[in-house]
Amino acid sequence: MAEELFAPLTHPFVLRGLLIAWLLGVACGVIGCFLLLRRLVLIADSFGHALLPGIGLAYLWLGPGHSGLYLGAAIAGLLTALISGLLQHVTRLPEDAAFAALFVLCFAVGLIILQQAMTPTDLLHYLFGDILASTMDDVWRTWAVASAVVLALCLWYRPLLLEAFDATFLRACGGRPLLVHLGVLFAVVATIVTALQAVGLVLALGWFVLPAAAAYLCCDRWSSMLLMAGLIGGMAASAGLLASWWLDWPSGPCMVAALGAVCLSCMVGGRHGLRARWRSARHDADESGTRCERT
Amino acid sequence: MSGAHHDHLVLDDVTICYRRRPAVHHVSCALPCGSLVALVGPNGAGKSTLLAGILGWLPLTTGRIVWNGHELRGRPQFVGWLGQRRQQHGSFPIDVASVVAMGRYGQVGWWRGFTADDRTAVTQAMATMGIAHLADRAFHELSGGEQQRVLLARALAGGAEVLLLDEPLTGLDAVAVRDVLERLQAWVRGGRLVLLVLHDLAIVRAWCPYTVLLRRELIAAGPTATVLTEAQLARCYGRRFVEGGAAHG
Repeated sequence: MAEELFAPLTHPFVLRGLLIAWLLGVACGVIGCFLLLRRLVLIADSFGHALLPGIGLAYLWLGPGHSGLYLGAAIAGLLTALISGLLQHVTRLPEDAAFAALFVLCFAVGLIILQQAMTPTDLLHYLFGDILASTMDDVWRTWAVASAVVLALCLWYRPLLLEAFDATFLRACGGRPLLVHLGVLFAVVATIVTALQAVGLVLALGWFVLPAAAAYLCCDRWSSMLLMAGLIGGMAASAGLLASWWLDWPSGPCMVAALGAVCLSCMVGGRHGLRARWRSARHDADESGTRCERT
Repeated sequence: MSGAHHDHLVLDDVTICYRRRPAVHHVSCALPCGSLVALVGPNGAGKSTLLAGILGWLPLTTGRIVWNGHELRGRPQFVGWLGQRRQQHGSFPIDVASVVAMGRYGQVGWWRGFTADDRTAVTQAMATMGIAHLADRAFHELSGGEQQRVLLARALAGGAEVLLLDEPLTGLDAVAVRDVLERLQAWVRGGRLVLLVLHDLAIVRAWCPYTVLLRRELIAAGPTATVLTEAQLARCYGRRFVEGGAAHG
């Protein structure tokens, strides 16, 4: 039994996958907290679509090598983040509309380019990812991005906190909300580009929103929410990957399902979950009943 | 208007434009310290614009703003601010003490840790606003009045000498209004200045010894009793407003 449990750990490609799952889970979980509280979670999904034209053009111009595709995706993502951020600040378009307008256009253009450039197998690889096919280069790339995300969070904790809680007050303190906002969007892009190989574009949203939502339902402090989202992201994704091995199920969906299972359990049993609400409602009803009896 | 003047916030020929259209025209006045000063005028009169100009968020087309001999704009450590509408995330996971501590960020910067002085300033700001007992409570669990006091404490925690409050009493009941104004009144006694944008003239008459009446340009500035006259209010709000009796508010 124990041998079966630890069997996957004897394979280097599984260990590489576990490392990437852990690192990506932490980075996505932390960034997801900002997206969740700024009501921007769908942006992570939209970014995935926006990367398609970049991947397609890089494939056409630079060939199927991974580095070229990452470069194309990164440039497309950064440009989209910049343009959508500016669209929102310099036009009267609300942020979600600015993103939606840009991303749906990118997705359409991306599909046209990709159909010309790639085989269906290549396309599926980037849409759904394959974490067990990761190389050591992927591990180092993921480690660099995850470390940069955590380091940036530590260095700019205060402006990031203010931007999420009260962006106007950030301005009153001499900060630049637009700069901080663009920084968060760039972090999202960098993480999604890194996650291309492991997670794919389609399921990337789950890595951002599920750990953050789970932590949000359990925490009353911003710092604990960030810590918990990072830990849930890393641990649940790793557990999902191991489960996919034991059950012989596809790894990408299994990792997202594990993140989802934690989120669902927090939705029910978390500090601000359904059980707590039900208890609070029952407590209020009991109290008002006691008061009525007294009067 | 003379430039530097101690014990006054001096607005000297201040003009602020939005897309080349002046929203505030050549406003000159000296606001005395040690009292609550009301900034009164109809919607679109340029009140929030003037506050944004004092904060340095909008460029001045003409003029300057001087506090104790120093140009005030671009010095967040001297000016506290509370905005017009609730800008805060409704259910952000954060406790009251952390919200008030944000008020020190202008002083300590983004990287330096809090010193004992910073922590004392936060504690004092909470005590001044009577929210010390709420320090560990979640911000989103508080009532509207309590949240407003927390945000006022955050504005005080920075140690600013000038506090700009844009409609700080909106949404508060009569008891909370009285409580907030009493606390602000006590706070300014040390020689500080609170400039409040207000719409309720009865509150202005009862609580603010000094008033600035603005309608894009300065209608009047001075002791409240001499500023809120029927003639001045008619110039500011229109004749119908005064005839409707609102001027006696």
